[in-house]
Amino acid sequence: MNFEAVIGLEIHVQMKTKSKMFSSSPNAFSKSPNTEVTVFDMAYPGTMPVVNKQAVINAIRVANALHMEIDHTICFDRKNYFYSDLPKGFQITQQFRPIGKNGYLEILDRDNKKKRINIERIHMEEDTCKQLHFADYSLLDYNRAGTPLVEIVSRPEIRNGTEAMRYVEGIRNIVVYSLTSDGKMEEGSLRCDVNVSLRPYGVKEFGTKVEIKNINSLKNIEQALDYEIARQSAMLLSGTPVQQETRRFDEASGKTILMRVKTDAVDYKYFPEPNITPIALSDEFVQNAIDTCPELYESKKARYVASGLSDTDADIILSDINMASYFESALKSAKKEKTLANYLIVEVNGYLNKRGISILDFPLEPEKLGELTNLQEDGFTHKQCVDILNYLLEEPTLSVEEARKAKGIEKMVQDDNLVLSLVTEALNENPQSIADFKGGNGRAIGFLIGQVMKKAKGKVNPADVSRVMNEEIKKR
Amino acid sequence: MAILDKTILEIHEALVKGETTPLELTKEALRRAKEDTNNAFEFINEEEALKEAAALTEVEVDNPLWGIPYICKDNFSTKGIPSTASSNVLNGYKPLFDATVVEKLREKHCIMIGKSTLDELAMGGTGTTGHLGKTFNPYDPSHKRMMGGSSCGSAAGVAAGIAPFALGSDTGDSVRKPAAFGGLVGFKPSWGRISRYGLFPFAPSLDHVAYFTRSVEDAAIILEALSGRDLHDSTSSTRKVEEYYKDLNPSLKGKRIAVLKDIVNSISNEKVMHVFNASLEAMKKEGAIIDYVEFGQEALESIYATYIVISCAEATSNDANLDGIKFGPYYEGKTYQEVMYNARTKGFSELIKRRFVIGSFALMRENQDVLFLRAQRNRAKIVERTNEILKNHDAIYVPAAPNVAPLFEGSSDKLSDEYLIADNHMALGNFAGLPSITVPLGFVDGMPIGANLMNGAFKEGEILSLSLALENLSGLKGLSINERKGGRFE
Repeated sequence: MNFEAVIGLEIHVQMKTKSKMFSSSPNAFSKSPNTEVTVFDMAYPGTMPVVNKQAVINAIRVANALHMEIDHTICFDRKNYFYSDLPKGFQITQQFRPIGKNGYLEILDRDNKKKRINIERIHMEEDTCKQLHFADYSLLDYNRAGTPLVEIVSRPEIRNGTEAMRYVEGIRNIVVYSLTSDGKMEEGSLRCDVNVSLRPYGVKEFGTKVEIKNINSLKNIEQALDYEIARQSAMLLSGTPVQQETRRFDEASGKTILMRVKTDAVDYKYFPEPNITPIALSDEFVQNAIDTCPELYESKKARYVASGLSDTDADIILSDINMASYFESALKSAKKEKTLANYLIVEVNGYLNKRGISILDFPLEPEKLGELTNLQEDGFTHKQCVDILNYLLEEPTLSVEEARKAKGIEKMVQDDNLVLSLVTEALNENPQSIADFKGGNGRAIGFLIGQVMKKAKGKVNPADVSRVMNEEIKKR
Repeated sequence: MAILDKTILEIHEALVKGETTPLELTKEALRRAKEDTNNAFEFINEEEALKEAAALTEVEVDNPLWGIPYICKDNFSTKGIPSTASSNVLNGYKPLFDATVVEKLREKHCIMIGKSTLDELAMGGTGTTGHLGKTFNPYDPSHKRMMGGSSCGSAAGVAAGIAPFALGSDTGDSVRKPAAFGGLVGFKPSWGRISRYGLFPFAPSLDHVAYFTRSVEDAAIILEALSGRDLHDSTSSTRKVEEYYKDLNPSLKGKRIAVLKDIVNSISNEKVMHVFNASLEAMKKEGAIIDYVEFGQEALESIYATYIVISCAEATSNDANLDGIKFGPYYEGKTYQEVMYNARTKGFSELIKRRFVIGSFALMRENQDVLFLRAQRNRAKIVERTNEILKNHDAIYVPAAPNVAPLFEGSSDKLSDEYLIADNHMALGNFAGLPSITVPLGFVDGMPIGANLMNGAFKEGEILSLSLALENLSGLKGLSINERKGGRFE
């Protein structure tokens, strides 16, 4: 590679507050179009913005997680432009005084070394309405109009697709675990615009910037950037200048595709929003927002690893906040974290994947799963526990104990005398099987072991039975 | 004298005594509204007003607003009732919600008899630019004189005796100027005292809900009814609403009144100054201390330009929602740009477009510092100077306008000193968000003139008391064209 890539990211995160950024309209997703709308969202004359307190609290929490300086005076500004998705003809945002500035996020670079990505600003604003364009008409859905957003703008310190992906992943973990957002890229609750330019190594000046818009998965960020860097690199090597333009990522082809060539930047005629006077936040309010922030990803992970989970297992459980909260509820009854984690990752995930459902729809209460894993700690075999679990999934109202009894599963005992007496009994009852075995039919011993297990009602260890049986049959 | 020509308090007394009923009053008000020849109305709310009035049968002795008819400026949002702001861009628009002040008056059982004309979107001071054309001053039956604006219809309606009070809005002097031309009390309290929710914005940092009455006592009663924190308007003040009427104390003894020298010096109309000076003498006799204070000529001259830049800049943004997509008349177009373009091209008059261009120009990146931000800095300086004067005085007192209501034809050179200073100074009250009230002072050539009192933020109670003292001296309580009387200062 002859060039260094300079990458900056703008991430828009939809906040899952109860109501919208500036109106009392409910803020929920996937309701039927134009049902979550107030007169403010449609910019009826005389309506006025009222700042959503929870949105401010969320923004403070995210800003704090990103080590930012938090402005204790909240100010909003108008960004003016005409567009069909913008009901008021302006967007209320925080241009002049973002709620947070000068922070950073630590990520692992391509060589898995720690790297600090500096963050310029985080600010609050409102979303536009959703447009659906058809051949000769367009539809507008105002449900999204006014949804609270935080925008997080990085400094151009990211150097490749992997770093970009990990940066977004880190941001997503913060917004998800602070309960600020669902952080779902595929549903648009976390949206990512990437700016990338190349320059020869050692050169200070930036090259011409290309923007890639609306990339909808972490993987695609990496792919889009790798492709785009290669594309620009090839152009520069062949002496073709890079154009300032906006592109999008095409998932099917793995390429970025030109959307529009940028002309002079639009003048948004920013000015302070006169209908929101500056709001002074007390130190107490800001501190309280920070102190009451739910535990974040990194802290949970450290806790999980300290309790015996592997790094990978911790990541798997934390990859879904609902899985993590299920895990923590189950921990209340489970004796051993590691055992519980194994059940979640293998059995529970297997069950969910097979049915394509989320942990939220898993039929078993977390406390019961915890109790179930305790059986294994108490000496039941893994197989026995899985049998009980499977039964419980069919009969989730039963207690673990009831399920165990219903399945007639007993703890195995280490009792060689018992094994010996049962083996002797079985051999006495089945002379034909002994004969078959002697005659070279190896399968006959399996039948005999099965007979013993049946007599023992699964209470003895099959390995012990097999060992004793092999010894005894030879004596006959 | 018809009961409707009286003040709110007098009408209330008659209602309590059973001398009239809300229905009788409403019928009379509607009759007068329909016979109005001054172009005061956008819409007469006959059906609903009659229905509401008929339902009021048990008089509320403690509620002076019970059953009182009023007029509402057409830039307030009124649920299900056309609200056009006298602009074609909002023809046929019936809002889905009531402005907070409209709701509050409904709770008091006031009867809204109609929506009044204004300068288009409240931008203007002449009462001539609304989509229904000129509004006439009822004191001049020959229809040669302006009512003044932008709250022209509300002023004309109260001056003509159609209702005892009317809602208006005041961004520069849009209530206080027409009040002077119509012999009315026009009051604009502090910014934040009355919720603006549902008032169509012109320039929110300057916009105020304001109103016309025929007496200072009525102004105190209305203020009490309209004031207070509103969760829909986060700029509304959390301060307690005072008992403005009960607390009225019309004493001038020891009150320090600042008369702005630069303003009175710029007024050339001797008759106006004669009346004004007579009022000063009368106030002195009551124990007031009159100080002539220099505000600063340059600062006063810059008010108009500062006002235009800030108000147009805010307006161009506020009115960007009027695009024909969500409400108002829809015009076809192949693209959304065309739909918006057509709605805005056909919906706004030339004057409005000019204001948008000025506002947009002032906000452009390359112009912001020398226009918009400079205007804001100048506004801050002017506010500082105003507050400085008010630190040592109980009120600033000046003629509300240098002349009687102007003629439609042959208006003078717009940029004369007199115009720049004496015709625009009331915007001081908007720049600083201070209580500012116009009260009738007398008549010159048969036309009313008024004076303006202004004091510190949220000192509504004090300014009302001073105004009442002045009203007691002038003897001009309860003026309308049906109740003409000479003032004591003439």
